[in-house]
Amino acid sequence: MFKALFDAKTLISCSVLLALLLLLPQFLPRFYIYLFALMFAIALLATSLNLVLGFGGMYQFHHAVFYGFGAYAFALFVTKSGLPLWIGYVIAPFCSAALGLVMGLITVRLHQLYFGMLQISLGSLVWAITYRWYSFTGGDDGIHGIPLPDLVGSSTGAYYFNLIVVVTCLLLMYMIVNSPFGRIFQGIRDNPERCQAVGVNVQKQQLTGQVLAAFFAGVAGTLFVTVEGSVFPDLMFWTLSLEILIMCLLGGWFIFLGPALGAAIIISLRTFAGIYTEYWTLILGIVLMLLIFFLPEGVLGLFLKKADPAAKREG
Amino acid sequence: MEFSATVTFSALMQQVLVGLSRTTILFIVASGLSLVLGVLRIPNVAHGSLYMTGAFVTYTVATLFGQSTLGFWLALIVAPLVVALLSFIAERGLFCHLYEREHMMLLLFTFAFSLVIGDLVKLVWGSDYRSLVAPVFLQGSFSISGFPFPRYNLFLLVIGPLVAAGLWFLTNKTKIGKIARAAAVDREMVGAIGINVSWVFAAVFVIGCYLAGLGGALVAPTQNITQGMDHAIIIEAFLIVIIGGLGNIWGALLGALIFGLTDSIGILLWPQFAIVFPYVAVVTVLLFRPQGLLKSTW
Amino acid sequence: MLHVESIVKSFDGFLAVNGATLKVEKGDVVAVIGPNGAGKTTLFNLISGQLPPTAGNIWFKDENIAGLASHRVCRKGISRSYQVVNIFHRLTVFENVQVAVLSHHRKTFNIFKPAKIMAVKETRKTLDSVGLLDKAEMISGTLSHGDQKVLEIGIALGNRPELLILDEPTAGMSPEETAVTLRLMQRLSGDMGLTILFCEHDMGMVFSIANQIMVMQHGGTIIQGSPDEVRSNQLVREAYLGGADECSV
Repeated sequence: MFKALFDAKTLISCSVLLALLLLLPQFLPRFYIYLFALMFAIALLATSLNLVLGFGGMYQFHHAVFYGFGAYAFALFVTKSGLPLWIGYVIAPFCSAALGLVMGLITVRLHQLYFGMLQISLGSLVWAITYRWYSFTGGDDGIHGIPLPDLVGSSTGAYYFNLIVVVTCLLLMYMIVNSPFGRIFQGIRDNPERCQAVGVNVQKQQLTGQVLAAFFAGVAGTLFVTVEGSVFPDLMFWTLSLEILIMCLLGGWFIFLGPALGAAIIISLRTFAGIYTEYWTLILGIVLMLLIFFLPEGVLGLFLKKADPAAKREG
Repeated sequence: MEFSATVTFSALMQQVLVGLSRTTILFIVASGLSLVLGVLRIPNVAHGSLYMTGAFVTYTVATLFGQSTLGFWLALIVAPLVVALLSFIAERGLFCHLYEREHMMLLLFTFAFSLVIGDLVKLVWGSDYRSLVAPVFLQGSFSISGFPFPRYNLFLLVIGPLVAAGLWFLTNKTKIGKIARAAAVDREMVGAIGINVSWVFAAVFVIGCYLAGLGGALVAPTQNITQGMDHAIIIEAFLIVIIGGLGNIWGALLGALIFGLTDSIGILLWPQFAIVFPYVAVVTVLLFRPQGLLKSTW
Repeated sequence: MLHVESIVKSFDGFLAVNGATLKVEKGDVVAVIGPNGAGKTTLFNLISGQLPPTAGNIWFKDENIAGLASHRVCRKGISRSYQVVNIFHRLTVFENVQVAVLSHHRKTFNIFKPAKIMAVKETRKTLDSVGLLDKAEMISGTLSHGDQKVLEIGIALGNRPELLILDEPTAGMSPEETAVTLRLMQRLSGDMGLTILFCEHDMGMVFSIANQIMVMQHGGTIIQGSPDEVRSNQLVREAYLGGADECSV
């Protein structure tokens, strides 16, 4: 079963990468450890979006709402419940998945742009409630200084915790993408009518995909809280959703690890461009325009094409 | 969560009037968005940024004339035209090469465009907010059954129907309107009978963006002109277009009415969660009419 | 096996199919012919559930399937191919057929087993039967038009149908490719015993393979009968084979 998922080349390069990442904190200054830990969370977020976007062809315009919902669920659990932290890590993703189920039940009846727009409206409703419910969510201030034990609260702790969780989640998602479910999902992406004609209940399939993607977005949300120790309404604002879409596009959304790479690029760009200029979004905008004109397959897509003209999309 | 228990009739009337003037702005912006979405199939996220640009240009032009009455009228004419010119350049230079792409790509491209405009506005005008006073004869308010109603809002209530009538005339009575409506239904067909669709599209795009600029110009005296006003309006405009029916201008009017009124009445009923009311209205509409209230051109 | 009873489909008042009737017995190869716009494709869309009928019944194995969603129709044992190439163009040829096979075995919600090792034998067998086995690992979008049309049939076969519906299986094919497809259809009907319902413009092909022909005009059925009966029918001659023969507009 393992062999059916990875060929030797992928296995080796991934192990080397993982070993490097495990050793990295020994050499890096604290700021970079923090940055990497954040990157892991966002990489997971982008990959979870791509589960339905690149592999399902769904117009997931408001993915951030599941991320923010998971982050809030976790933050509220930690600050209000008094129960052990670890339960929060488990419950929060399921909260996101439940939101995915509810929103999915309403939205999957619609196609493409209508689907995306209804999702934005529902997501904005969640955002609006969070934004105004001062007594519970902290309103537009959010919740800050969420207490975390050193095991995950210190920067090195957060780094390793996030790394382990992200690697596990990526493995799970990789399995999903390559499972019969994933295969059918890609069929729906390419041609939903035909997929229905060969006996697939397309809406049920999309609903399942939605719930799975929301679950992993929720995991990413808890990881964000682990790194930052705070939540705020911007985590579920629609502009963040479009930023994650950019990450997927940038890395290449037909390749499994493309969005993760895209996330890493965007986070680094934002951090380092932010040091020199306050006009970082101008740079992002121009990069994105160039990307759409000249590189619609994404960075990793281009790279793999160069390396192997017959490269298949799983990479 | 203080629920106002006593809602007097006159207070309600006043909120309705305020809601209606808010509707005017929303309608003008959303109709432009709807036009572009319906005919060109571009979900233009940058529409809100053009609206913001319109507001800032209005401020600058009016301030050049010492925020005088003349300056205000001049700004009201010039600012939307500046926005239209900007959009014309963008359409001919960038968008016209992308019409065949998927919606997703178009959406992201317009998002990129909005990021660029957003930062350019920041470069030109800085991050401080600006404010503009309405010309003297539109300042102050008069009373409706004992409650004050701002004169400027009344002005908006006059402008709204004028714009609606103009749009009706444009789409139903002019050649370009008829071609655009036909192109919205069947693009290839219109191209096949020898009409240069590309220029029709350019015209529609520019008109749509002009409306964004006009909305920005009209809103300028009523609120602070700030960074971020683009993000607030665009999502509302999109929701209005969706509940009205994509590409349907009367749908945009209906959607704007629903959005504006639920918003202003929500302020009366439950101030803290007023923001939630329009979203709930949108979701309710879409639950029962997923394709929007009126017939979409898609 | 399949009995379509005075089926009607109207689009905003326009009657695309107007009272068409069709009978298909087990083992038959039935052709539907008629000028463009006669409603053949709409009729197929109604049978396979792509469109809900406005009125009328569709009996399949003594069950009325009119108005069922297409995935349910498929699960009853009816598969179809399309006139315009309608495949999963980013997937490989193998995966295209595998989607149908996995769906047939109701594995669509299995998320933990690698798809690579599932239903391999069956998929390859299906590919072999349509002659695409040597191209199994190619991305289907890069195939030639003729091969894509054959893959169309391959996907439809992945569901192990009892009734196979082919919408203009040779449209846009070269004469050689048409001959190959004709032989394929003969094999499917002869060796595998499939019941086939198809529509086609190529009259030579229709008369060489079909044992029943249904003639459509203006959304209705003129006649259904053996090739000889159809050939000698006066109405058909006037309506179709006569004046407007090849310039079917």
